[in-house]
Amino acid sequence: MNEIAATLARAGLLTPEQREHWKMAWLSTVDHKRIGILYLTTALVFFVVGGMEAILIRLQLAVANNHLLEPDTYNMLFTMHGTTMIFLVAMPAVFGLANYIVPLQIGARELAFPRLNAYSFWLVPLGGILLHFSILAGGAPAVGWFAYAPLSESPYSSQLGVDYWALALLVLGIGSVATSINLIVTVLSQRAPNMTLRRLPLFSWIMFINSFLVIFALPVLNAGLVMLLIDRQLGAHFFLPPGGGSAILWQHIFWAFGHPEVYIVALPAFAILCEIIPVFSRKPIFGYEFVAGSTVAIAFLSILVWAHHMFTVGLGHAIELFFVASSMLIAVPTGIKVLSWSATMIGGRIRLNTPMLFCIAAVVQFLIAGLAGISLASAALDWQTKNTYFLVAHFHSVFVGLIVFAIFGALHYWFPKMSGRMLSDRLGKITFWLMTIGFNLTFMVQYFLGLAGMPRRVFTFPDLPGWTAMNLVSTLGALFMGVAGLLFIWNLAASLLRGQPAGDNPWNAWTLEWATTSPPPHENFHELPPIRSRRPLWDEAHPDRPDPVVGANGKVDIVAPEKLRTGVITFIISESCFFAVLILAFLFFNASPQPGPSAHQLDLVKTSLFSLCLFTSSFTMWRSQVSLERGRHRSMQVWLGATILLGGVFIAGQGREYWHLLHRGVSVSSNLFATSFFTLTGFHGVHVCVGLIALLILLGLALAGDFRGTRSFVLHAVGLYWHFVDVIWVLVFSVVYLSPHFS
Amino acid sequence: MSTSQFFISAWNFSPAVLLSGAAAIVWYLAVFGRDRRLGWFCAGIAVLWLTLLSPLNALADGYLFNAHMAQHILLLLIAPALLLLGLPRWPLPPWRMLDHPVMGWISGMGAMWFWHVPALCNAAVASRPIHAVQTLSLLALGSLFWRQIVFPRDGADGLSPVGAVIYLFGACLTCSLLGIIVTLSPVAVCSIYTMPPADHLAMAQTIRNGWGITPALDQQIGGLLMWVPMCLVYLCAIFAQAVRWFAEPGSTLKRPS
Repeated sequence: MNEIAATLARAGLLTPEQREHWKMAWLSTVDHKRIGILYLTTALVFFVVGGMEAILIRLQLAVANNHLLEPDTYNMLFTMHGTTMIFLVAMPAVFGLANYIVPLQIGARELAFPRLNAYSFWLVPLGGILLHFSILAGGAPAVGWFAYAPLSESPYSSQLGVDYWALALLVLGIGSVATSINLIVTVLSQRAPNMTLRRLPLFSWIMFINSFLVIFALPVLNAGLVMLLIDRQLGAHFFLPPGGGSAILWQHIFWAFGHPEVYIVALPAFAILCEIIPVFSRKPIFGYEFVAGSTVAIAFLSILVWAHHMFTVGLGHAIELFFVASSMLIAVPTGIKVLSWSATMIGGRIRLNTPMLFCIAAVVQFLIAGLAGISLASAALDWQTKNTYFLVAHFHSVFVGLIVFAIFGALHYWFPKMSGRMLSDRLGKITFWLMTIGFNLTFMVQYFLGLAGMPRRVFTFPDLPGWTAMNLVSTLGALFMGVAGLLFIWNLAASLLRGQPAGDNPWNAWTLEWATTSPPPHENFHELPPIRSRRPLWDEAHPDRPDPVVGANGKVDIVAPEKLRTGVITFIISESCFFAVLILAFLFFNASPQPGPSAHQLDLVKTSLFSLCLFTSSFTMWRSQVSLERGRHRSMQVWLGATILLGGVFIAGQGREYWHLLHRGVSVSSNLFATSFFTLTGFHGVHVCVGLIALLILLGLALAGDFRGTRSFVLHAVGLYWHFVDVIWVLVFSVVYLSPHFS
Repeated sequence: MSTSQFFISAWNFSPAVLLSGAAAIVWYLAVFGRDRRLGWFCAGIAVLWLTLLSPLNALADGYLFNAHMAQHILLLLIAPALLLLGLPRWPLPPWRMLDHPVMGWISGMGAMWFWHVPALCNAAVASRPIHAVQTLSLLALGSLFWRQIVFPRDGADGLSPVGAVIYLFGACLTCSLLGIIVTLSPVAVCSIYTMPPADHLAMAQTIRNGWGITPALDQQIGGLLMWVPMCLVYLCAIFAQAVRWFAEPGSTLKRPS
């Protein structure tokens, strides 16, 4: 028994029987609360790493013509800083909070798929290690977090850094999608009785909407990453203009992910503000419906406006005009949110504890970020300021000013729930002021630096009037923030050891997570208070003047959708986005015929026959599902076997097609037809194989007679996936095989 | 022909369109009387008339792909939505197959994709009868699409507000996809607009030189119309659903049967 175990046990984070093997108890946990804390701890570790990178960057930029860092080292540092902060800090922190809080807020015992949750978490350290392993394997990537082609392609970045970067992001992307599927299914199917969707606390509601954004956006990046890896590892030319590829396509793919990504980390910050500001203003949120609705609007619009990141690419006036207009529209729903927070504070009895201080600063700083954002949405101004520190200041106002501040607020707010002990409010306030002063020193001057013309992404700068002074101020501010970060970690450690006991509900808050002990027991709740409104604890404390009942009075029966089915549907939505990118890329590269192999070398007749097998297998799968429903196990097994056989024949047919093509010297790097053909059909083939493995497992279970009761859901879920794979093949077959014969 | 001359003289007064619009209003008054929703219905007819009689129609007739796209959006999205909002109830008898939300979604999205297959898109410009079929099918399929939103069926198959949001969001993604393809496509989707067969209004010069719209730019604007503004129509509908949802008492989740 060492000191860590003793501390954890004292804080109630270990049960007595786990004290002996506390490491295993945490490493092998599937408890959403522990996984949430693991997520947050991982984010904190990488926050220190990313923060040190930021400090190094700022030290290099402290004075003009500085040579503290080599240009290459500087490029690596800003690449790693950006990638780390977004994928290894912001997203894990957001998922950690969601993991911990959402099940508690909705009165659930666990997430819908606890093991999947552990899997998604462990992908984060794996991704982090992959990314940082690149340092040992010939140097970290030095291409920016956006990895613009062709710089990120092998002729210009021949080291393995970019490959590790792409692999790490793939791993992290898969984890994020898995976690989001888990959150969506949890909110839909694990809510407590009477917790209708309209009674959902805003934090859970926004996290729910946000998860949809993740499952739409991340697969787009994943598709881009595999294309980049195919370029780099297999010699293809997706994004290499000399081989006929399109570097602009990478930008489209990256920003089709990248813009929603901004909201993927910003929406949770909004969620935190919506939770903390009402509690510390002692008023319910102003305009719940508008906040909830505007979240949907933001998520929706964010998918539409990515091209505003590409104004300086030269897309043409028509495209710019449309995206200027649609980007400016985003100001409406975000404006609604700022209005709601302000109106919540007006007339409230505001308590200025640390969480509230962070949230107020976040609102103000986000307003400034938003105003800069509106100016950047205008293409004419964007051309002038895009590659200057004005843009750096803008997005750091969002990422630090809003998101980091909100997350700090959230950690101060929910730490008592997680550990049972209060964080020191005195240290918290010092942290807050250091952070606020540091942040504004660092980034407010950067707006002016940008307007003065200082370009970003350059490792040093000439000694122009005002530049050196402003840069020095900026570096000074960064050091303030560094001290604030250290102080925060000190506060965490000290409070964990000897903080004030928190009690169940130290902030007098109203949502369900405060209705249980701090930290909550393994099963979360012994007993739930009645839920009639959005603030059940308020109703309980003030029976004389409860909140108006939301929805039907009295008992509301929620029949939750079956979780496996919902999970698979969500997964299918996410996979559709992945395939949409691959199909679009195929269409883009094959719109006009190119020299070299073409679709006319494919064997249309034989592939049609094999496709017929695959389509028939959907029918046999359906028969097998029907048989199971009618309890006819024998015929279910036969139909299942037929499905596997037909799927196997299809895969063999695809193998035959590949073999013939390779035999005739058509390989993945021959030309863009071959590249996009092999990529698209190859990924479809992988999906068929995964389906076949799942079906074989089911058949094995069925033959062993181990297929009763709840297992029937599994067959339906796998069936859905199998039908999806077939539908994708209908699209792929018409695009790849049929369309060349009709144009 | 100069621009101002064009906008004055390019109106047409197709009796078929005028009369069928008038007939629809008469039918409405006969069946539903002076309902308070009559304004919506008349707005729908007005949009229809403007779409098919105004210079927009002349431009779409072989000159500008983006005018065709604007017409397409008005006929598939705006006019049917307004007409349906004007109806007190769905006027057709129940028909199991067509009443399912999946069918509604497929008709709305199918109409959009089907008429942008290059061969069909060209044919609809070149041939009058096919053009008429296109116009009617857009209206009919658009009505089937909106019907699920405006008159959701009761029972397990009807769209709950949450389901409607997914329905509309899926529609937005699907039309964005087509818009992206049209905008970024390196080849002409509807090649007839790049080389108009007959310049019967003598406008080709004005459009290319005066307005500065090249065939490539033309297609880009057409694609963008489908990519961005069309989705905003769906977004408005999503808002309406959110309002309906927050206003509705009772259970919020309908269980799939």
